[in-house]
Amino acid sequence: MNAMGIIFASDREVKLNELTIHRTTASLPFGGRYRLIDFALSNFVNSGITRIGIIAKNNYNSLMDHIRMGRDWDLNRKNSGIMVFPPFVRATSQEVYKGKIEALYTNLSYIKEAKEDYVFIVNSNIAANIDFEAAVEKMEEKQADLLVFTARMTYANSRRAIISTDENDRITDVLFSDAFNGEEHLVGINAYVIRRDLLCFLIETAYARSLVDWEKDVLQAQYKNMHMLSYEIKEHVAMIDDIKSYFKASMDLLDKNVREELFHKNGNVLTKVKDSSPTTYGENAVIKNSLIADGCVIDGVVENSILFRGVKVGKGAHISNSIVMEHADIGEGAKLSYVITDKKVTVSPNCSLSGFATYPIVIVKGKTV
Amino acid sequence: MITHKKECVAMLLAGGQGTRLGVLTRDVAKPAVPFGGKYRIIDFTLSNCINSGIDTIGVLTQYQPFELNNYIGNGQPWDLDRINGGVFVLPPYVRGKTGEWYKGTANAIYQNIKFVDNYNPDYVLVLSGDHIYKMDYDKMLDAHKAENADCTIAVIDVPLEEASRFGIMKTEDGGNRITEFFEKPKNPVSTKASMGIYIFNWKMLREYLIADEEDKNSDNDFGKNIIPRMLGDGKRMYAYGFSGYWKDVGTIHSLWQANMDLLDSNSGINLADGKWKIYARNNAFPPHHIGESACVKKSIISEGGDINGDVSESVIFQNVTVKKGAVVEHSVIMPGVVIEEGAKVHHAIIAQNTIIGRDSVIGGELTSEDDITVIGANACIPDGTEIEKGVMLEGR
Repeated sequence: MNAMGIIFASDREVKLNELTIHRTTASLPFGGRYRLIDFALSNFVNSGITRIGIIAKNNYNSLMDHIRMGRDWDLNRKNSGIMVFPPFVRATSQEVYKGKIEALYTNLSYIKEAKEDYVFIVNSNIAANIDFEAAVEKMEEKQADLLVFTARMTYANSRRAIISTDENDRITDVLFSDAFNGEEHLVGINAYVIRRDLLCFLIETAYARSLVDWEKDVLQAQYKNMHMLSYEIKEHVAMIDDIKSYFKASMDLLDKNVREELFHKNGNVLTKVKDSSPTTYGENAVIKNSLIADGCVIDGVVENSILFRGVKVGKGAHISNSIVMEHADIGEGAKLSYVITDKKVTVSPNCSLSGFATYPIVIVKGKTV
Repeated sequence: MITHKKECVAMLLAGGQGTRLGVLTRDVAKPAVPFGGKYRIIDFTLSNCINSGIDTIGVLTQYQPFELNNYIGNGQPWDLDRINGGVFVLPPYVRGKTGEWYKGTANAIYQNIKFVDNYNPDYVLVLSGDHIYKMDYDKMLDAHKAENADCTIAVIDVPLEEASRFGIMKTEDGGNRITEFFEKPKNPVSTKASMGIYIFNWKMLREYLIADEEDKNSDNDFGKNIIPRMLGDGKRMYAYGFSGYWKDVGTIHSLWQANMDLLDSNSGINLADGKWKIYARNNAFPPHHIGESACVKKSIISEGGDINGDVSESVIFQNVTVKKGAVVEHSVIMPGVVIEEGAKVHHAIIAQNTIIGRDSVIGGELTSEDDITVIGANACIPDGTEIEKGVMLEGR
């Protein structure tokens, strides 16, 4: 396809606290075996986009380990393929980039040297299965300068762009406010497609004026001057920018229709293959409405929960409404309710942990309770 | 062709027709038959090789090779996509005006002498692609070198009553040197059975293969011809005892039993052991979902599944759907199978993408080895069908 992709591995708008101490948003585990970036990568690959740059900023070890050469996404190509841009300090400013504008400016030569006419710019905190090819078709048909991907959501916070449009999807207003929380609005999902020459021009002029914030200094400031359209995604979109939205987006996966849309709709979601053995259920296992990845050994009770790869659940343990990430060891008789355990957490036998739907407890990576 | 020397090259015999597996091998070679929830039979041998540090493998195929070739591909899942070495699928090919099928196990290697010569190895490890086991070939190679052997044969203790199905070895008292070898003896004198795993000094084997080819009366088989001839010539032949789990999955019952062994923590085979991983070519599927109405006990379940019925003591592969009210017991359900509401499956092997219609009853209690019911791939069993135990039904 006549487009390339840029993925931002982390964005300062995302507040995931304990879950991103050790990693970028892009490598946040999601849905039992995926990392958030898998959705962006798979959308690109499934839409025929193979030139993909990933701009990393901090804590990107886990990301590099996940991506490696891009083989699991069929992106280990001789021409195009995947490129990871670690942050580098510019001689003039003596610090790493502050916002998307500076980051894109730093890597502008990569974009300029590409031969595709369109550039997708996406954050990695979106789990959605989007046909990007259809978006480019719409862009060509409408002769648009820029397409802002949007979705209808009721949850608003000060970091989400609320978009107004006219009947032709042309953007008529962009605002950032949590005052609209609870009402349904069209929200920008931090994904854009833009003509490549226009992007280069916008970034160069914005950088020259010391502007930092792509959303505020370009989108909000320029929507009147450009033919900027909203491209609404009607399928399931999970926008993960805090613990609450992470928990809800995860639990939504227990709905079969959501899984169907998210994992299969426009192509399967690809991820790193780890060669775990299939999951083994013991004599005392009781499982209800749960999503369970490979490599688990389960002899306890699991309900309304998501278990990642290689989780051990001891006899008599009871896990409900929880997210248990890779290689957790839940001891015999332990009880978890509304808990998110990060990777390699050990919960000692008979230990009991309980949070609330609106405020799940997060256990940091590698800790023992 | 310039290649680097390899100490040991593995030659994996994957050309067996696998007729005893019936409908399961109608369209695929035996080594490509699915096993253990997410593997193929050949994954065990390939993974053993890479885990033992052997990175140059020739896979000898000739029956229904398409799916197997496709599966092995460039060898990447087993870390065998190498610039120097790697995995090669070696079908028989035409040489000048002659060209012929592999006549026997020895002839298959004979036809690929040039392939082996490329790597100028000291040793050749001959393997078969239809066994389930985890074995460190490097330890066997160490034993081979320590005994200064010409040939080392891996052996396993089998019950005396089963010994006549195998090549049986008699060794010298208190040692491992083989004194006699009997291919499938009627009255076995020992319980040391050949596992079909041999290490040869390549220079010597090469000469024997050429001589064997010139012998028009030979069956060109390792067990029947090469091994007895070497023994007759007084070569240094040693047995290497292996004591772990090992199963030949050449029959329906043994294939079913080997799958069931995975559910028994005392059986000696542990797939979850991260120190000796079994690799497989896999697509990434989402985790499986177990619904409100499901009851899952003592089973292995792989990715992508949607389980809403009762599953006990079974091995469930990727993307299997078990609908509400369906019952699956003591069975092996291969990828993509759909078990409709109210259907019951007992002691059965259901091959890929088959649909078992509503309220159907497949199989029954196991009273003899012949009672496993097998349904071939892509079949569509109509609602309410009863299929008796021991029946083997062709797929589509």
